[in-house]
Amino acid sequence: MNLPSIRAAIGETISVTTTINGASRRFDVEPRRSLADVIRDEAGLTGTHLGCEHGVCGACTVLLDGEPVRSCLMLAVQADGTEITTIEGLANADGSLHPIQQGMYDAMSFQCAFCSPGFLMSAVALLRDNPNPSTNEIREELSGNLCRCTGYQSIVEGVETAVRIMGAQQ
Amino acid sequence: MTPGYETGPTSDRQTSGLGFVGQRVKRVEDERFLIGKGNFVADLTPDGVHHAAFLRSPFAHARILSIDVTAAAALPGVTRVFTAAELNALTNPIPPFFMADGVYTPLYSCMSEDKVRHMGDPVALVLAESRYVAEDALELIEVDYEDLQPTATIDQGLDTSREQLWELADGNVLADTSFEFGDVDKTFADADRIITRTFECPRQTNQPMETRGCIVLVDPDSGHLELHNTSQAPHFLKWAIAALLVNDGAVRNLSTFLRNKERRKAFSSASKEFLKTNIDKLKSSDPAGQKAQLSKDKSMLRHQARMAMGLLAAEDYPTVKAGDIGGAFGSKGSVAREDIAVAAAAKATGLSVKWIEDRVENLLDGGQAREERFTVSMAVDEDGTFRGLKVDAVLDQGAYPAFPISGVATLLFWKVYMPGPYDFGAFQLNGKIVATNKGKVVPYRGPWANETFMRERMIDVVAAELGMDPGELRAKNVLREETMPAALLTGPTLDETMSVAKTLDHALSLIDNDQLARDKAAARERGHRLGLGIASYHEAAPGPPNFFESIQPGSDMFLYEDGRAEIQADGRIVMYTSQSPHGQSHQTTYKQVAADEFGVSMDDVEIVWGDTDRTQFSFLGTGGSRGGPLGAGVMRVTARELRRQVAAVAADMIEASPDDIEIVDGNIHVAGVPSRGIGYRAVAAKVARETGIADGPVFAESMKYEGVGNGGWSTATHVAWVDIDLETGMVEIPRYLVVEDCGPIINPGIVDGQVRGGVAQGIGAVFYERHHYDDDANLQSGTYMDYLIPTSMEIPDIEIEHLETLTAGENDARGVGEGGMIGAPAALTNAVSDALGVQVLEQYLPPHRLLELAGVIER
Amino acid sequence: MKNPPFNYHRPATLTEALDLLAAHGDDAKVLAGGQSLLPVMALRLGRPDHVVDIAAIDELKHIATASGALSLGAMVRHAQAETSPMVAEHAPVVAAALPHVGHRAIRNRGTVVGSIAHADAAAEMPAVCLTLGATLHLASATGTREIAAADFFLGFFTTAALPEELVTSVTFPPWSATSGGAVVEISRRHGDYAMCGLACAIDVADGVIESAALSFFGVASTPIRVAEAEAIVVGQRPSPALFAQAAEVVADVLSPDSDIHATANHRRQIAAVLTRRGLAQSADQIGIPV
Ligand SMILES: Cc1cc2nc3c(=O)[nH]c(=O)nc-3n(C[C@H](O)[C@H](O)[C@H](O)COP(=O)(O)OP(=O)(O)OC[C@H]3O[C@@H](n4cnc5c(N)ncnc54)[C@H](O)[C@@H]3O)c2cc1C
Ligand code: FES
Ligand code: FES
Repeated sequence: MNLPSIRAAIGETISVTTTINGASRRFDVEPRRSLADVIRDEAGLTGTHLGCEHGVCGACTVLLDGEPVRSCLMLAVQADGTEITTIEGLANADGSLHPIQQGMYDAMSFQCAFCSPGFLMSAVALLRDNPNPSTNEIREELSGNLCRCTGYQSIVEGVETAVRIMGAQQ
Repeated sequence: MTPGYETGPTSDRQTSGLGFVGQRVKRVEDERFLIGKGNFVADLTPDGVHHAAFLRSPFAHARILSIDVTAAAALPGVTRVFTAAELNALTNPIPPFFMADGVYTPLYSCMSEDKVRHMGDPVALVLAESRYVAEDALELIEVDYEDLQPTATIDQGLDTSREQLWELADGNVLADTSFEFGDVDKTFADADRIITRTFECPRQTNQPMETRGCIVLVDPDSGHLELHNTSQAPHFLKWAIAALLVNDGAVRNLSTFLRNKERRKAFSSASKEFLKTNIDKLKSSDPAGQKAQLSKDKSMLRHQARMAMGLLAAEDYPTVKAGDIGGAFGSKGSVAREDIAVAAAAKATGLSVKWIEDRVENLLDGGQAREERFTVSMAVDEDGTFRGLKVDAVLDQGAYPAFPISGVATLLFWKVYMPGPYDFGAFQLNGKIVATNKGKVVPYRGPWANETFMRERMIDVVAAELGMDPGELRAKNVLREETMPAALLTGPTLDETMSVAKTLDHALSLIDNDQLARDKAAARERGHRLGLGIASYHEAAPGPPNFFESIQPGSDMFLYEDGRAEIQADGRIVMYTSQSPHGQSHQTTYKQVAADEFGVSMDDVEIVWGDTDRTQFSFLGTGGSRGGPLGAGVMRVTARELRRQVAAVAADMIEASPDDIEIVDGNIHVAGVPSRGIGYRAVAAKVARETGIADGPVFAESMKYEGVGNGGWSTATHVAWVDIDLETGMVEIPRYLVVEDCGPIINPGIVDGQVRGGVAQGIGAVFYERHHYDDDANLQSGTYMDYLIPTSMEIPDIEIEHLETLTAGENDARGVGEGGMIGAPAALTNAVSDALGVQVLEQYLPPHRLLELAGVIER
Repeated sequence: MKNPPFNYHRPATLTEALDLLAAHGDDAKVLAGGQSLLPVMALRLGRPDHVVDIAAIDELKHIATASGALSLGAMVRHAQAETSPMVAEHAPVVAAALPHVGHRAIRNRGTVVGSIAHADAAAEMPAVCLTLGATLHLASATGTREIAAADFFLGFFTTAALPEELVTSVTFPPWSATSGGAVVEISRRHGDYAMCGLACAIDVADGVIESAALSFFGVASTPIRVAEAEAIVVGQRPSPALFAQAAEVVADVLSPDSDIHATANHRRQIAAVLTRRGLAQSADQIGIPV
C-alpha cells in the first residue's frame, strides 16, 4: 500500500478515515493528536483507557488490523486506512459476550477494571494466534499490561476460562 | 451454561434460599466494565468544558522571584491563566486536621506562590480549549527561581542546620512525640537480653492505574458547583471545597452566624446531623493537639471560623459525584491541592473545567508513602519470652502534610499497633515526622504497615540471636485465646476475633520442613538460595469500639457508617451507601447482602453511591478496610429494618401475622403458603395509594452502624518462599501462602482478589518499587520506565486459606482490603534473610542489593 | 502528556522523504514506529518542528536476502522480523533478540531500523548489529552511503547519521552453519530494557573457535565489544573453564555506570554471568554442549 503524500502545517487538521469496530469513521484531526485521544474523544469510545500515555501500562491497547498496539503511542493520522477494534467491539451484535469477556467475568478477573481494556485486547490476540496457551505463555503475553489491583492470578484464570469456553464452543 | 466448563452463580441466576452471601457471586460491576462502559471521570467531557494543566516546579526547593504568564495567556485557545497568587487569594489555606501533642502541621495553600518545596509543586494553572493547548501554554510561562538548599533524606530532615521548608517548625522536624505503656525501664532492666536493630523502608507510591481527576461544572444561574471526582471520600471533599473556597471577604464568625437567620436555616442538614451526633465526642477530644499546633502557629484560628461546618451555608456546598474509580489504595482519600485550585478557577470564571492528572504528575505528587526508619529494641528472656519493645521511629512526610490524613495519623496508629499480636509487658514509641523536599505522603493500603515489617523482621533477628526457630518463637509469644488478656497493652479490647494464633498455627502446619530442607539443598545445587519467611499481624478492621478511642480520644466519631434503604412507589428497592468504591466490588457485595435480607434477587436491588446529593454525610468514604464490616453492616441492618416494615404491611394485606411472613424470590407470603403471596410492588402500590406518593420512596429508613461485639479484628499469617539466583540477584517466589481470618466471607472471589492484590503490592515494595529521589531531591523514577510495578511474570499464584472465625455479631464480616500489603513485605524480607543467612535491615531489595547482602558483589 | 504541535509529512516516496529531510534538517524527525519518538514528544523532551512519517514508503518495507546477506528495510517492524522465517534462517541472532524487545504491542509498531537509529544504549538491536558486523545503509537528497555498525554508534542516542539522512535499511552478513549465537540479558522486570545484556556469536571450525564477537548493552553509552575477551576464546575449544576465563576478563574490562536499577558492580557481575551463559548457548547451537 503506497498512500499518497500528505502534509499538514501546525494548526491544520488532516482527514483520517478508519474502520472502528466495523463502522467506517472519518475524523479531522490535528496530526499531533494520539489515536487514543481520538478514539476516546472524537469516536466517543471511552472504554479504551489512558493509564500512562508513555507505552508502559497497556491500558490503551487496541487492535490495529488485528494486532494489539498502544493507542497512546500512535498518532491518529498513522491509523488512516486501518481497521481498529476496541473493547466496545468485542461483544457480538446480539449483546452476547466474546469468550474473553465471558472468561474474565466468570473468573472475576478484575477489580477497578481500569486496566481491563488492555488485558482483553491483548488476550484476544493471544488466543487467536495460540488457542491453547500454557499458563506461562499467558503470563508472558500479558506482561505488557499492568494491573495494580489483582495480582494477575484472576486475570490469567480469566484467559484460561476463555480457552475452555472457546474449546467448548468448537 | 456452556457445556464443558463450570460457572458459578451470577447476579441474574436466582439462588435465593441458599442466600447470596457467602457465594462466589459474579461481579455486577463487570457487566459494564467488560464491555467498555465504565463511568470513569476522564470519560466525561461536558460540552464547552475547559481543560486544565498545572505548571509545576522543576526544582525541589526554590524561592519564586517572579512569574510571567503574558505569553501563555496570549496563546490562541487559552482561556485563562491563573498564577498561584491569584488562586490562593480565592481560597483558604489547608488547615491541620489530625492534631496531636508534640505535632506541628504547617498550613499551606492550594498553589505555591513564594516558594516551591518539591519537584512538581504547582505554581500556575492554565485553562484552555484542549489539554494539548494547555500544555503548549505551560511552556510559555516564565518563572524565575532562586535555588534553596534541598532536604532529601531522613538524616537531612533531622539535621537542624539545613534550610527549613517551614518557617515556624523546629528545623525540619514537624513532630516529636512519645508514648509509653507499662513500665518500660523496669521491663528492660529485668529482661535477660536487649537486642537492637535499625530498619529502613524507602519511598513507595500508591500508583492506581487511573490517575486522579476532577471535573467541575458550574451552574450558570446559581453558580452552584458540581464536582465529578475520583474521590474515595466524596463527602469530605464536598465539605473541604466549601470550607476552602469560602473566602469571599465576608466575616464568617459565630456571632454573624447566629444573627443571620437565613444562614442558620440553610446550614446543611447533613453536617448539622453530624455535629449533633458527635457533640460529646467532639467535646471529649484531647485539646493537647490543638495546643501544640497553636503554640507554633495561630493562623489556624483565623481560618477556623470560616471553615467550621456550622458557618457554611447550604449554597457554599458543592455537589460531589464519584463514578467508577480506577483504584486508589489510599491516594484518592486526600483532598488534592489541584481539586481546590480547579474548583476555585471554575468558580472564579464561571467556566466548567476538567483536570485529568497525567502519569508524570501522579508520580510527582499523586501520593507517596512509607519512607520510614525504625530503631527497635526488644527486651527478651533467654527462653524466648518477649518482655518489652522500644521503638524510635521517623517518618518522612515529604513537603506537604496530606489533608485530612497526614503522617500524624500513622504515628498514632503505630502507637496502638506496634507490639502486634504478642504478649509484651511494656512498650515505648518515640515518633518523629520530618519534612523533606519530596512529594507528599498519603495513606497507602495499611498506612501503618511498616510496624508489621519492622516487628516481624525483628522477631526473626531475635530468633537468630537466641538460636530459636522463628515460627516457634512467634507461636510462643502470640496472644492465645486461652490466655488472652481483656485488652491489648495499648488499649483496644480483645476477643475471639484476635485469632492471629490460629492463623499462625495453621500456617505452620502447612509448611513441610523436610521438603523445605530438600528444596533448599536443590537450590544450592543450582547456585541459588531458597528461604522461607513468616509474618503475622492483626488489623483493627473495624476494630473494637474503643479502638479509635485508643488512637486518639474523640476520633471514634469517624468509625460509624451511615446507610439508607428505600422502597420506591413502584416497588424498586434502592440502597444508599456513603462508601466510594474503587475496585472493591461494593455494588456486588451490597446487593448480595441486601437481596438476602429482602428475600429478592440481586437484580431487584439498586445500590447508589458516590453522589453527595443522594447519600448520607460521612467524613470517611472507602478506606481502612471498612467496606465489609461497616459498609455492608449498615446495608444489612437497614435492609432488615425495612423488610420488617414491609412485612408488617404485607401481613395486613394477606391477613396474617407479621411473624409468620417469609419472603422468597420476592414473594411475600405466610411460611409454607407461597401461592398466596404478594410482591414488593403490590405492597409499595398500596402504601403509595394511601399516602398519595406517586413517585419516590414509600418506605425509607436511614441508620447508623458501628459494628458489633467487642472484637472486629482481622488477622493473618503470611508465609513466603523466596528463591534467589546468586549469579544475577534475580528472584522467584515459588510459593506464597496466606492464612487469613476476616470472619464470615460475603464473596470469596472478591476477598481472594483483595488479598492477592495486596500481596502483589508487597512483592512490588520489596523487589521492584522504589520511588527514588537523588541527593538533591530530584525525582529519578518519574515515569513507568523507572517506577517498576510488577507484571504477571513477577507475581506468582498466591495460596489462600480462610479461617472465618465467627462471633455472635450481626454483621460479622471483617475488613480484608489492606492486610495483603501489611503482611507481605515482612514475610518476604524474612524469607530473604533466611535464604541468604543475613539479617536484612531494609525493605527494598533490588537484585544488586541481594547480591551485596549475599557477598557476591561489593557495595 | 500531550504531543507538542508539529508540521506533519507523510511522503509516499523515498525521494520525497529525503527532500523533506534536506529542507528541514535539524528541525525534522523521522517517525518510523514511533515507540521511542512519541513518548519523548509526549513528555515534551523532544519538540521537532517537522515530523516525517516514513510508513507509507513502500521502498522501505522489504525483508530480503542477497547472496546470503539479510536486508531489512526501515519500515520492517519488530514483529514482522520476529515471525519471518527468512530472518530466523539468515540472522538467527536478530530473531533471538526480538522477543526481548519490550512487549508484543510495542513490537507490533516499533521497527528494527528505528531501534538502531534511536541508539538507546540499553537496546538489543544496536548490540546485535555490532556483533554481526551489520551495515547501515543511509540516504540523503545528495546520495547514499554505507556505515559499518562499528562506526555507527557514537554515544547515548547519538549515531553517525546526519539529520538530513535516513537509514534506509540494515544488512546482516551471511550466517554460516558453523556459527552459533545468542542474545542473553537480565532486566528488572520481564520486557524491560536490560540492566545488562549480551549479543554474542562464535564461529567454530574443527571444534576450535575461529572468531568471536561479544557485544554488551546497557553498560556504556553505546553497545561495546570486548575484544580482550574475544581474544581469550579465539583459537580455543569451547569449555566452561574457557568461558569463565572470558567472563573474568569482561568483568575487568567493563566500567559501567550505576543507576537506580543496578550498580556498576552488579552490571559487571551480570556481564560476566552472561558471558558464560551466552557463549555456552552459542556453542550449544552448533552442537557443542558446554
Ligand atoms: C514500553 C516500551 C518498552 C520498550 N522496551 C524496549 C526494549 O526492551 N528494548 C528495545 O530495544 N527497545 C524497547 N523499546 C523501544 C522500541 O524498541 C522502539 O520501537 C525502538 O527503540 C524505536 O523504533 P521505532 O520504529 O519505534 O522508532 P521511532 O520511535 O519512530 O523513532 C525513534 C528515533 O529514531 C529515529 N529514526 C527512526 N527511524 C529512522 C530511520 N529510518 N532513519 C533515521 N532515523 C530514524 C527517529 O527520528 C527517532 O529519533 C520499548 C518501548 C516502549 C514504549
Ligand atoms: S496509556 Fe498507553 S500504554 Fe499506558
Ligand atoms: S483491576 Fe484495577 S488496575 Fe487492574
